[in-house]
Amino acid sequence: MRKMSKLRLGVCLTVVALLYFGAWYAEKSMGANLGQAGFMLVGAYVYAVFTIPLKKHAAVYQYYNGGIIQFELPLIVALLLAGIVAALLAALIGLPVLRLKSDYLAIATLGFAEIIRAVVQWDSLGPITNGSNLLKTYPTFNNTKIFGTTVLFPFIVSGVCIALILLIINSTYGRAFKAIRDDEVAAEAMGVNLFHHKELSFVISCFFAGIGGALLAMFQGTVQANSFKSAMTYDVLLMVVIGGMGSVSGSVIASFLYIACSEWWLRFLDNPLTIGSFNVPLLRSGFRMVVFSAVIMVVVLFFRRGIMGDKELWNIGMRRQKAGRRARK
Amino acid sequence: MSESVLRLENITMQFGGVVAINDLTMHIDQGEIVALIGPNGAGKTTAFNCVTGVYEPTNGAVYFHDKLIAAGHPQGKMKRMYAGTNADKFVGMKVSLTPDRITHMGIARTFQNIRLFKSQTAFENVLIATHLRRTSNIFTAAFHLNYKEEKRNRDRAMELLGIVGLADVAEEKATSLPYGMQRRLEIARALATQPTLLLLDEPAAGMNPQETIDLGLFIQRIKEKFGLTVFVIEHHMDLVMGISDRIYVVEFGKLIAEGTPHEIQNNQAVIDAYLGGNDE
Ligand SMILES: Nc1ncnc2c1ncn2[C@@H]1O[C@H](COP(=O)(O)OP(=O)(O)O)[C@@H](O)[C@H]1O
Ligand SMILES: [Mg+2]
Repeated sequence: MRKMSKLRLGVCLTVVALLYFGAWYAEKSMGANLGQAGFMLVGAYVYAVFTIPLKKHAAVYQYYNGGIIQFELPLIVALLLAGIVAALLAALIGLPVLRLKSDYLAIATLGFAEIIRAVVQWDSLGPITNGSNLLKTYPTFNNTKIFGTTVLFPFIVSGVCIALILLIINSTYGRAFKAIRDDEVAAEAMGVNLFHHKELSFVISCFFAGIGGALLAMFQGTVQANSFKSAMTYDVLLMVVIGGMGSVSGSVIASFLYIACSEWWLRFLDNPLTIGSFNVPLLRSGFRMVVFSAVIMVVVLFFRRGIMGDKELWNIGMRRQKAGRRARK
Repeated sequence: MSESVLRLENITMQFGGVVAINDLTMHIDQGEIVALIGPNGAGKTTAFNCVTGVYEPTNGAVYFHDKLIAAGHPQGKMKRMYAGTNADKFVGMKVSLTPDRITHMGIARTFQNIRLFKSQTAFENVLIATHLRRTSNIFTAAFHLNYKEEKRNRDRAMELLGIVGLADVAEEKATSLPYGMQRRLEIARALATQPTLLLLDEPAAGMNPQETIDLGLFIQRIKEKFGLTVFVIEHHMDLVMGISDRIYVVEFGKLIAEGTPHEIQNNQAVIDAYLGGNDE
């Protein structure tokens, strides 16, 4: 059972990493979206608020007379809505900010993440957000069954997300995003409207961040604004960097490695270990994070372009074939 | 009477205290190949940038097919600093379109310092330039409902690569190609936007004499094939004299001569300023 939940965590964070992924296009040209946690929070809240069963409202919103939202939405609709609301907020933020050159987006999104965290805990919004109290009893991974099993749901959602992202990347819009990343001036000269496309890629990435937040809510079983701190953004950022900016499969691999390292493989470092009468030094609570940070440093230093660079897993074989064919010619 | 494609009226571009172009007036007619020559730093690239919307002219107006596409007059701090002429002529006129809008209207360009999309293949570089004429939106594109258009664009990109002689290297990374090929790839990419006016900024830079001759023939060929009007900045005098219908000569931002290749070759001011001074 424990192992199962770890697996789900892995899948869930994979999705989260992917969700972040949309933003990489923009990284160079419009500055990073440092508000990932904020958009995930929005997604988590939208999902939770609209899926808490009506008969549980009285208990959940006990300080707010059962809340004011007196309906519940089907899970899938709420999941989509989580993405849509995050995307709409992104569109609003992007409108003024993306017209400016340079790194204002990073600052604006960082500010947004901090503000939104405060806003949802605001007492006047309590009847909707439950203030600073937990949201709970909404459907989670543990009780969402597909074909009679709870294992499938996160896999299916992440599969759909990956497919969508790949479809977008491989469309004419994906190519335009990449062009902007490569050379803004040239892209503009080739007729790519910078503002329109930056706004679009920002909105798309935040749509997926919203869904990622909803999935995180499903995984955790409870939602509380304070857990959506900037550190979460950095976790996600790290996965993308480690995986290789611009590689979907890289992000997936990296997030699995990330989870596996931090949760499974390095666990033993936190426990004092005695071999025979020899007390292995350094092994104590907290040491895991030290080693973990070191591993990340090594990756960042020696794999500048991430594990995969901008290649995809399935392209590596293809390139070789092509090279081989050319050589034979 | 032939129709005017591009018209610059009293264009002045001033950066801080530097007047890069000073009162440049010129016109290009339908189907012409017009060259802009002048020593380095004379303001030629800046003129291109004013036409393509990269800069808004400090003063003056640009018309494309008699439609105003760029106009400016000294404003704010520039009112005091302005060192050009005709400061009152364009008062009240201000048009500044983004470069993509101008490309959309039918003006495409190449860059003096090659600016290909470096992470992409030659083919993808050209394909990106078909994006601006799309009829798809993000949803139809993502779900490949625009497959007909997509196929058409891919075919066209491949055809253009064939025309510039790069079909064999379509799948190579653009930046791994030799210099001459990169220049031709930039031309193919510009053509993919379906321009009526093509601006070439030193297309023969870095090419050897044979490549330069080929390029001249090539420019004439695509001009005929696509019904283009061509505006070219170039230093190779053989090329300029060989293909141009008319030539404008600038020095220190000022127009010093204009005329047919024959007239320019015999113009004393030009010989003094440029032809004599340079090795050609
Ligand atoms: N963005 C800019 N800011 C300041 N000065 C500029 C800028 N662009 C061009 N210049 C100046 O304008 C002059 C003309 O440059 P340019 O048009 O590139 O010359 P050319 O293409 O004829 O060699 C140069 O002195 C250059 O330093
Ligand atoms: Mg120049």
